[in-house]
Amino acid sequence: MNQWIIASEFAEVAVSLDLDANGPRLRLEDLRSGHVRHLDALELESIAWAPDERLRELMDPSAGRWSDRAGDA
Amino acid sequence: MTVQYSELIQPERVHGSLYTDQDIFAEELQRIWYRTWVCVGHVSEVARPGDYVRKKVASQDVIMTRSKDGEVSLLLNRCAHRGNLVCEDQRGNSSTFRCPYHGWTYRNTGEMLGYPYNQGYGGKGKLSLNLGRVPRVDTYQGFVFASFAADGPSLKEHLGAAAGELDRLARLSPEGEIELTAGWLQHRAKANWKLLVENETDGYHPQFVHGSVFSVTGSHIGTLYSDKSAAVTRDLGGGHSENDLRPEFRKMEPMNWFGTSEARVPDYVAKMRALHGEQAEEILIEGAPHVMVFPNLFVAEISVFMINPVAVDETVQNVTAVQLKGAPEMNRRLLSQCIGSVGPAGMLLADDSEMYERNQRGVAARVPEWLDIRRGAHRERIDENGFRIGAANDETGMRGFWSHYRSLMEGKAR
Repeated sequence: MNQWIIASEFAEVAVSLDLDANGPRLRLEDLRSGHVRHLDALELESIAWAPDERLRELMDPSAGRWSDRAGDA
Repeated sequence: MTVQYSELIQPERVHGSLYTDQDIFAEELQRIWYRTWVCVGHVSEVARPGDYVRKKVASQDVIMTRSKDGEVSLLLNRCAHRGNLVCEDQRGNSSTFRCPYHGWTYRNTGEMLGYPYNQGYGGKGKLSLNLGRVPRVDTYQGFVFASFAADGPSLKEHLGAAAGELDRLARLSPEGEIELTAGWLQHRAKANWKLLVENETDGYHPQFVHGSVFSVTGSHIGTLYSDKSAAVTRDLGGGHSENDLRPEFRKMEPMNWFGTSEARVPDYVAKMRALHGEQAEEILIEGAPHVMVFPNLFVAEISVFMINPVAVDETVQNVTAVQLKGAPEMNRRLLSQCIGSVGPAGMLLADDSEMYERNQRGVAARVPEWLDIRRGAHRERIDENGFRIGAANDETGMRGFWSHYRSLMEGKAR
C-alpha cells in the first residue's frame, strides 16, 4: 500500500489508496490519534467542489473532533 | 383467463404448458418472485461500508448496499425523478448514488440527499423522494433474502427444514461462516426456470448426462445415485428438497465427500478438530449439503447457484464457489473444483445446460402434453423426522416442488 504523509506543525495525516472494498477509496489516517476515515469518489469530488466557506466550517474545532458528534470512519 | 392449476399439476405428472405459457410466467412473477422470499446474495459480497453490488430478482434491478452503520439494504435501481438507473457498475464502493440524468443524489440507504438547482423545487429539502427499497430483507447464515411483499411468512418460516442444510454448510468453516467472495459466473440458458430447479435435485440424470465426466475422472459420484445407493432424496417441505448423500459418505473416510483425503488438507482438518473435538469426525465425513431452497437458491456441496428467470424460456444461473471463512487451504481447492465443474469450460454445468435447452425445445411439441414425475412414488416412505423420502434417483423432490408451487399459484400458500 503506497502511503503519503502530509504533515505540518499542526497535524500529520497518512494518505493512501484502500483497495480492500468493492471499489477504491481514499484512506486518511490522523497519525497523532489513529483516527481513520475513508472517502469514496463522490465524497472526494464534493470536497473538490466545496466552496471555501464549507471547508472553513469543517475547520471549526467544534465541528468534528472536539464536538459531541466526532466524525467516524 | 384464469389458469386452473389443479388441471395442470397432478401428483404424478405436470402439463407442458407450465414451461411455455407466457401468462403462467407472468403470474409466477407476481405470486412467487415478487412475493415469497428469494435469495439475492450474501453479506460477504458487501463486506465494507459503502460496498455495493447489483443483483436481479426476476426483472427487478436491485442494488445490495452496506451503509455506514453496517445495515445491508436492497434498493431498487430507479431514480425517483424520471426513473433512470442510478447505478451502472456491477460493484463498487460509494456512500451515495448519483443519477446521471439530472444529478439527483441518494444515500446508500435510499434516502434522498439532494437535487441540483433546487430553486426549481422551491429550495433545498423541499422534496422527499427516496429510492425504492425492497420491503423485507433478512439474512440466514449470511445469505441475503428479499421479499417484495410487506407481510407474509418470516424468512425462518419460509426456510423451514432447509435452514438446517444451510447450517450444515456453515459448520464446515473453522469460523462457522461461509463467504461468497470468489466472484460470480453467469450462465444463460434458453429454458424455463423450473426445468433448472427440477434438475438440481434430480438424482436420476447424473449417470447419463454426466457419465462421460465420471468415466474420465474416475469419480465415484455416479454410484451415489445408482440403485444400490443408500443415499435418499428428501422432500423438506415448502418446495425445498435435497439429495442426502450422507448415508453413502458415512461408509467413507473423512473428506471423501469432497473427493479428497485428510492428508491433502491437513491444516483445515486440524483446525476443525481443534474447534469441534470428537464431533469433527462426523462433520468431516458428512460434508456439505446438496439442497434446493425454493425458489432459487441451490447449494451443490462446493458451489452456490442463484437462479433468476428472465423470460418464460430464458433463465440465468449465477454460480460461485463456496468459500469457508478461516480455511484458505480448502478455499483454493473449492475454487478450482468449482471452476472445473461449473466454470466457463466446466464439465458438469455444460452437460446440464444442454439438457435444459433440449427440454425446452422438446416441451414445445404438442403431444404428449404431460411430463412424468412418478418415479419412485410407489416406494416413498416417511423418515424418522417426518419427511417424505425416496431412493437417491427418485423424483420425490420434484413432486414436493410442484405441490408447493401449486399452493402458491392457487393462492393457498404465501
